[in-house]
Amino acid sequence: MIYSWKDILWEVVKGIGKALIVLFIFFPIFWLCLTAFKVARDAYSTKIIFQPTFDNFIHIFSAPYNFGPLVLNSLVVSCLTIAIAIPLATMTAYALSRYPLKGKNVLLVWILSSQFVPPVVVVLPFYGLFRSLQLLDTRTALVILNLSFVLSFAIWMIKGFIDALPAEIEEAAVVDGCNQFQTLLRVTLPLIMPGIITAAVFCFIQSWNEFLFALIITEKHATTLQVGLMSLFGDRGIIWEAMAAAGLIIMIPIFVLSITIRKHFIQGLTMGAGK
Amino acid sequence: MIAPALLALAGTTLYPFVYAFFLSFQNWKLSRSPVPGPFVGFDNYIRALNDVHFWNSVVVTIKFTIVSVSLSIIIGLVIALLLQKSSRFNTVLRTLLIFPFAISPALKGFTWRFMLNPYFGILDSIIDFLFPPLADVVWLGGAGTALFWLAVTEVWGWAPFIALVFIGALDSMSQDPFDAAKVDGASALKTFRYVTLPMLRPIIVMVTLLKTIFSIKVFDQVVTLTGGGPGAATETINYYVYKTGFKFFDMGYASAIAYLMVVVLFFLALLYLKTVMKEEV
Repeated sequence: MIYSWKDILWEVVKGIGKALIVLFIFFPIFWLCLTAFKVARDAYSTKIIFQPTFDNFIHIFSAPYNFGPLVLNSLVVSCLTIAIAIPLATMTAYALSRYPLKGKNVLLVWILSSQFVPPVVVVLPFYGLFRSLQLLDTRTALVILNLSFVLSFAIWMIKGFIDALPAEIEEAAVVDGCNQFQTLLRVTLPLIMPGIITAAVFCFIQSWNEFLFALIITEKHATTLQVGLMSLFGDRGIIWEAMAAAGLIIMIPIFVLSITIRKHFIQGLTMGAGK
Repeated sequence: MIAPALLALAGTTLYPFVYAFFLSFQNWKLSRSPVPGPFVGFDNYIRALNDVHFWNSVVVTIKFTIVSVSLSIIIGLVIALLLQKSSRFNTVLRTLLIFPFAISPALKGFTWRFMLNPYFGILDSIIDFLFPPLADVVWLGGAGTALFWLAVTEVWGWAPFIALVFIGALDSMSQDPFDAAKVDGASALKTFRYVTLPMLRPIIVMVTLLKTIFSIKVFDQVVTLTGGGPGAATETINYYVYKTGFKFFDMGYASAIAYLMVVVLFFLALLYLKTVMKEEV
């Protein structure tokens, strides 16, 4: 095959395009990672070669920033949210997928559309309620608020997985003498487990990254990592090397988790439309 | 079996949704009273329509939405087309495309704020180096540039995600039209214009709607990148609601503004659901 100069030029353009994409997408992450290991003097320069240090991580985990409890808060809130949401969502998804319910379409539209309610609308009424119940600045309040966006999302996602599972498999189990409960527990549940795990990971990421609720509801005791970022101020404004270290702690678990569910990532966020 | 979840869903979404609706007709200064005050009819809504800060937030949100949606889609499409062919390099890169999207919006804001710092920001330095006339620009200090970079932080997360959606769509398409175009000797540009683009149209419409809904709701980065500033140049509707409700504790008025946003989102969501449902059937 003979390459014309036009083909070569086209390949070069494509190569440059790819390089620019890589730069645009990964450079900010790369830069944040570098900064996390820099001493203050280096962080405030554009140096690429420097003496790495772990001081920033020690710094944010000690007074006055004390990120330890924040990590715990983020973890507890995210885990509790999925511990409540996923079983509830699985049951609902199963019923919606398998049984002919009256007004099912209305229910489905309601579940889907509650995804689009802006969080600020949810938090306005709850703020007053939590205040009178003395639940402001508690993990409980955050879990309740997180359920508002996690639940409908999980139902929708798990339902997709159950829909994809042929009902014949369950019917066969019934013929073999399983009762309904046994069928559900021993046949259906293991088969849709990948879907449930995917939904759980998604909900974890969303709760972990949640910012608006935590910013409004928490003050001191229930502050999460995302809001903790706002506390990294010093005499000279934001302490960027500490910010970068905190950013790394926020990012790493999410990166690991998102890699594990990468196959379902798009499907999840477009609510099944990106198939 | 569905009762517990539906109750929880009703409690966490329907209850606040309805309650906020009532609040929007009430006068409730949280700083003065722990319970909502008297009903004031449409006062809060009338106040919003005469409030320059509200209209400012509407204009800011519209500008932000237009810039972030169009840039996300265009850059997403470019990325998708460049990484569409499966090679080992492309497959790895595709996997990594999730990363910027998975980063929390709050952290996105801080990351770009760091890079745009006029004294030691790496991006600022690079721009100064490449375009010396722009050396004196304080990117987050000017109204227009601050809004532009706010949109860029959003595009940074969404363009790769949208690219993944497009790649998924391209992969599932029949190869025949592309082969036919090749046989007919169509150039790459013509193939894109007359084959790829029309075939992607439904998915582009869907993604545009979805992105528009999310852009209108933008909040986290506003807090961490610009704090609404300079002045009120990057104060989006969501941020203005937050400020009204939780800085000035004017809950009734905040609910009214929030509801004006909900009405817009409602129609967009309806449109989105219609397109998605049509695809599925």
